[in-house]
Amino acid sequence: MQELLQQLVNGISWGSIYSLIALGYTMVYGILRFINFAHGDVYMVGAFVAYYSVFFLGLRSGGVAGALGALAVIALAMLAAAVLGVSIERLAYKPVRRQARLTALITAIGVSLFLENAGILAFGAEPKFFPQIIASKSLRLPGGAYVTTHQLLVLGGSLVLMVGLNLIVYRTKIGLGMRALSLNRDVANLMGVPTDRIIAFTFGLGSALAAAAGVLVALSNPRIDPLMGLLPGLKAFVAAVLGGIGSIPGAMVGGLLMGIAETLVSGYISSTYRDAIAFSILIVILLVRPAGLFGRAVTEKV
Amino acid sequence: MKGRALLYQVGATLVLLAVLGLLDRFLPTFVNQYIIRILILSGINIMLAVSLNLINGFTGQFSLGHAGFMAIGGYTSAFFSIHAGPSIVQALGQSPQSAGAAGAVVLILGLAVGALCAAIAGLIIGIPTLRLRGDYLAIATLGMGEIIRVVILNIEAVGGARGLTNIPGYTTFFWVYLLVAITVIVNWNLVRSRHGRALLAVREDEVAAESLGVPTTKYKVLAFAVGAAFAGMAGSLFGHYLRYLNTNSFTFLKSFEVVIMVVLGGMGSITGSISAAILLTLLPEVLRPIKEYRMVLYALLLILLMILRPQGFFGSRELRLPLPAPWRARLARFARWVGPGEAGVTDEARAAAPGAAAVSAVPVVSLRAPAAGDRGALRREILRLEALTVAFGGLKAVADFDLLLRERDLVGLIGPNGAGKTTVFNAITGVYPPTAGRVILSGKDLGGLPPHRIAALGVARTFQNIRLFGQLSVLDNVRTACHLQAANTAWDAIWKTGAHRREEARTLGRARAMLRLMDLARLEDAPAAMLPYGLQRRLEIARALASGPKLLLLDEPAAGMNPQETAELMALIQRIRDEFGPAVLLVEHDMQVVMGICERVSVLDYGIRIAEGTPAEIRRHPKVIEAYLGPEGAAHA
Repeated sequence: MQELLQQLVNGISWGSIYSLIALGYTMVYGILRFINFAHGDVYMVGAFVAYYSVFFLGLRSGGVAGALGALAVIALAMLAAAVLGVSIERLAYKPVRRQARLTALITAIGVSLFLENAGILAFGAEPKFFPQIIASKSLRLPGGAYVTTHQLLVLGGSLVLMVGLNLIVYRTKIGLGMRALSLNRDVANLMGVPTDRIIAFTFGLGSALAAAAGVLVALSNPRIDPLMGLLPGLKAFVAAVLGGIGSIPGAMVGGLLMGIAETLVSGYISSTYRDAIAFSILIVILLVRPAGLFGRAVTEKV
Repeated sequence: MKGRALLYQVGATLVLLAVLGLLDRFLPTFVNQYIIRILILSGINIMLAVSLNLINGFTGQFSLGHAGFMAIGGYTSAFFSIHAGPSIVQALGQSPQSAGAAGAVVLILGLAVGALCAAIAGLIIGIPTLRLRGDYLAIATLGMGEIIRVVILNIEAVGGARGLTNIPGYTTFFWVYLLVAITVIVNWNLVRSRHGRALLAVREDEVAAESLGVPTTKYKVLAFAVGAAFAGMAGSLFGHYLRYLNTNSFTFLKSFEVVIMVVLGGMGSITGSISAAILLTLLPEVLRPIKEYRMVLYALLLILLMILRPQGFFGSRELRLPLPAPWRARLARFARWVGPGEAGVTDEARAAAPGAAAVSAVPVVSLRAPAAGDRGALRREILRLEALTVAFGGLKAVADFDLLLRERDLVGLIGPNGAGKTTVFNAITGVYPPTAGRVILSGKDLGGLPPHRIAALGVARTFQNIRLFGQLSVLDNVRTACHLQAANTAWDAIWKTGAHRREEARTLGRARAMLRLMDLARLEDAPAAMLPYGLQRRLEIARALASGPKLLLLDEPAAGMNPQETAELMALIQRIRDEFGPAVLLVEHDMQVVMGICERVSVLDYGIRIAEGTPAEIRRHPKVIEAYLGPEGAAHA
């Protein structure tokens, strides 16, 4: 029981990272019907921007200074990633937006390869160790499980970001534009919604969330390397599909489910099957409910 | 004819074997091992790209799991040659160290094992996942590929994470390029047959393909299994070349690499896949001197190519060698029997369909319904709808609808928008199964049959929102509809057997005759999507008619036509009925058409039949007037 509880705590913490990344996938897919395979690499870039800004700002670890420093670093990483995301969209995706979807997908794979290899060039292929600016402490939970301050940080951080995202999407004019675009881009454009600007904004927003996820991960699992985004990115996408791609609550729930399932499998079965289980769940969900947990099934009119 | 075909086939095979044998023997004296290695890896990549092109490019099923099938083929064949190989070599009286010819036997058996296992995996994975479409299918196949990899990683018998070592190195230049040749010829011939047209039809529009009798699921699974089998063989060669296998070679990145080859070459272009496979194998090697910038540049080139040339090198066309005309003709004649080239249609089609414009001279006789006997006698019953009901959730789109059509009947089905007319068509053709009631075609209850089976029983339709195979030519749209008229198997197509060639010739003659009848013959090479609207409607009728129906369902054929086109259409529909004899059920809003040519009209309103009778009766029927004009309008009328 205690062990199960512990696994759940770990799973939720890890899952909230997936949720943050999945949100970027799902927003972009919702609007452009396009799988942005480079999204996981933006998460990597976020972690590296944070890594260098820690040194640049000369942050010291521990205490209130550390916590404030962490906030500053997260903000910087999010900003940098947003700029990166918008640039990627403008330079690589916009020119192929009206092309076949496979063309756009290959472009995204190209961007992903570019970011990874440019990362290797710029940061080196060897893993780097992210400075521990926040001290790790374990707190005992009522059930006997432990939760670390890092896990709380990850959980709290992603909660704040997700609430913020919901406010943007459902309470602002630009959010309304995003929702209109996701229903019908052409009609939204005819109604005067500035589609290009909203698409760019969506990429920026999603990239910022991914970068935040990257920093939150780096704070607790300090090994970062240029290929760190590959698998989490892919699994976050799977989480988005699981929740129903295009659905924001779906991405959040999908990410959490994914994290919990993974920790349970590696805890109780075998860690080597961890990756396979993620995909198995996905396939079962797709076969039983292709639109995902929160997705709307679309039927074709004959 | 048969003897000549065999002669060509055997001759071409011998020449190919000799050339490959000579190259295999003398290549090492001219180039170093590094070049040979690149050639071999190019060959393996060609096999992967061409086989994935069958799935992605031709059938339109977006698969991202090709590396998984490659892994299955590689591991099973390697396991086979490691464990069963030595005893086979010994049984053939050779020592395992210098296996020679016995090694070739083991490799061939290993290839068969690898292909079979990969194909079986393709079936197991394909049957459930191919129900998914587009991106969902892509993600499911990507997941399947990763699952395959993780499962292999956990099997200790094949080395687990350490990898599988001590695989005999039987793969040589000869074997790789022999298999490349086989892959290309099989795919080429398969695609240029009625089966290939069925695959393309699945890519273009599954609903329309089903309505013409193409069992779409079967073809999707076929493409998937054939593609997987070739990927498995590529994997076998790969393992027997490197002599070592590790699951790291088969991650989703490898699948991506193959997808990139297919897209870069041009979806649905076999020569494109080949060129892109060679280019993408060479590119990293060429970029090797710039070391760490290599992959960055590779990525940038990829993005740039997609932006500048999104349709790939060749689009969906094939590369054509710049040959002088006589050589081209000679090559075409040769290719007709062996590989690349259209099936042996030209001569035979000319014989079957002499240039005459007269439709009656063309072998479309099979299309005609059996003689109806005396006009006065009671004609045979074709379609009977008994209390047909179709409900969506709580909404009854059609309720208790009865209708009877006899041979050569021309009946109109009218009603205001949303009355349920198209739903009746969808229920007859099996797109939506009836909720209650029966659909009986010539005495056979169609309840629950899938659309392609119903089409095979002689029902053809057109669609309200035109569903042509937009990227296919006008001719191929109609040829696809002849799917049911031929019986040759995929195997026949690959070997270009007599049955295949004869039926291809007949199909071509029949399709051309149909186009002449519809006055579309001049446009046979145009992509269907390029036709103006009125011609698209006409092409859809031609396509429906080419499937040889005894019941033809026309869904608003006059929609969007100008008065002259409408008048032509009316004449055409009557001519179709008179010459080919199907019973015709016509949904139409244009009252001039309905009242002008239909002998009987049935009126639906809110899913309920409110009237049936001759056009004259319907015109005066108070309920019909009310349905169209509302109660007030009815009072004024």
